[in-house]
Amino acid sequence: MHYYRAKNLKDILNLFESEGDRVHLIAGGTDVLVEARQKPLPQDAFLLDISQTADLRHINEQGQTIHIGASVTHQELAESALIRQSAPLLAQACRQIGSLQIRNRGTLGGNICNASPCADTVPPLLALNANVHIAGLQGKRTVPVAEFFDSPYHPLLNNGEVVSAVSFAKLEPTTRTAFYKLGRRKALAISRINMAVVFKMTEEGFLEDVRLAPGSVFPAWHRVSEAETFLENKKAQLSVFEEAGKLVADKMIAISGRRWSTPYKEPVVAALVKRTLAIAAGVYKGGKL
Amino acid sequence: MTEITLNVNKKEYRLTVSEDALLLDVLRNNLGLTGTKRGCEVGECGACTVIMDGKTVNSCLVLAVQAQGSEIRTIEGVAENGKLHPVQQSFLEYDAVQCGFCTPGMVLSAVSLLEKKAHPEETEIKEAIAGNLCRCTGYQPIVKAIKAVGEK
Repeated sequence: MHYYRAKNLKDILNLFESEGDRVHLIAGGTDVLVEARQKPLPQDAFLLDISQTADLRHINEQGQTIHIGASVTHQELAESALIRQSAPLLAQACRQIGSLQIRNRGTLGGNICNASPCADTVPPLLALNANVHIAGLQGKRTVPVAEFFDSPYHPLLNNGEVVSAVSFAKLEPTTRTAFYKLGRRKALAISRINMAVVFKMTEEGFLEDVRLAPGSVFPAWHRVSEAETFLENKKAQLSVFEEAGKLVADKMIAISGRRWSTPYKEPVVAALVKRTLAIAAGVYKGGKL
Repeated sequence: MTEITLNVNKKEYRLTVSEDALLLDVLRNNLGLTGTKRGCEVGECGACTVIMDGKTVNSCLVLAVQAQGSEIRTIEGVAENGKLHPVQQSFLEYDAVQCGFCTPGMVLSAVSLLEKKAHPEETEIKEAIAGNLCRCTGYQPIVKAIKAVGEK
């Protein structure tokens, strides 16, 4: 096996060119090295380390857009003043990933490219209408995060391509957001279900521009337009949020059918939608809803 | 195989390692620093925690080649000049050690936290050691021991 640490994006593309399919990317290694225990990397693999690639390590704002390099770690996002202010739900999601040791290594690019159905950063990115920036031998391209995934564990990334960054429009200061993660325990938990919401609330308490993105609920990631349309211009109150929860649970059953997990998931998904909306609206006081 | 230089506990080591060797294995087998424990090997238990450039990481999820150019601190580098680190001393005072297997990782997580925040709240302590499992379930004395260092 060969190992090479890419200093910049050009290094990565040069290696794609010279080594072709032998190239295996590694950033934080928190998924790659776990999977390598089950299925070792081929002997002739060219391990390309992008964890310290300068071009992939930025968090900045350009005009009204936030750009995050693919190799920025979860902990860096959780601690970033810019992200906490302009996309608090992403900072919250990152803060709940794994443990500090995992967050210090795992990267945003790795989380979305591993494309696990329970990836914690994907629902917030969907709710932020984020774009994924991809660099490759054929040039650069940008796709909405909603169109980046084929199926679980299969991002729509070609050989010779790397995700270089993620970007999204800065939220207005009055925008409400929330991220909720349901795991079997508080730390080191894989999400059973997670939920991201973004909306604006008028002074009279009416909802606008509602975006609702659940994780681990559908076989493929997407927002729930039925619930979003229902919530538009509705008053921010628990009865409305409850109705939205039922719509999301109905949608889940419509897509996946009734399965062994449905008696658990149906009420839990509905309750989590209600709870996450209530948190974002500032009407959740803790306890059961 | 490839030749690398590792900076561990402020000492430089020149080593020949396999490209897929884990930092954990190189610390234990090549350098004999067996204070770093092998536990789950998938980043769940934190027994293999080391401090890399000031941040705690699971050494089972870092390749030795990836650690080149970084400053690594293991439990062996925490005591200085034969004197225990205040966290180690406090673990003794509060009986925060049962079987001891999680202790090196716990101590390093605590040391790293206290270097960033000298007087952490209890919730911050619990968050900092959330990635370190103690199967003897002796968490209370561990939290108390760390808190006591911050209160001194």
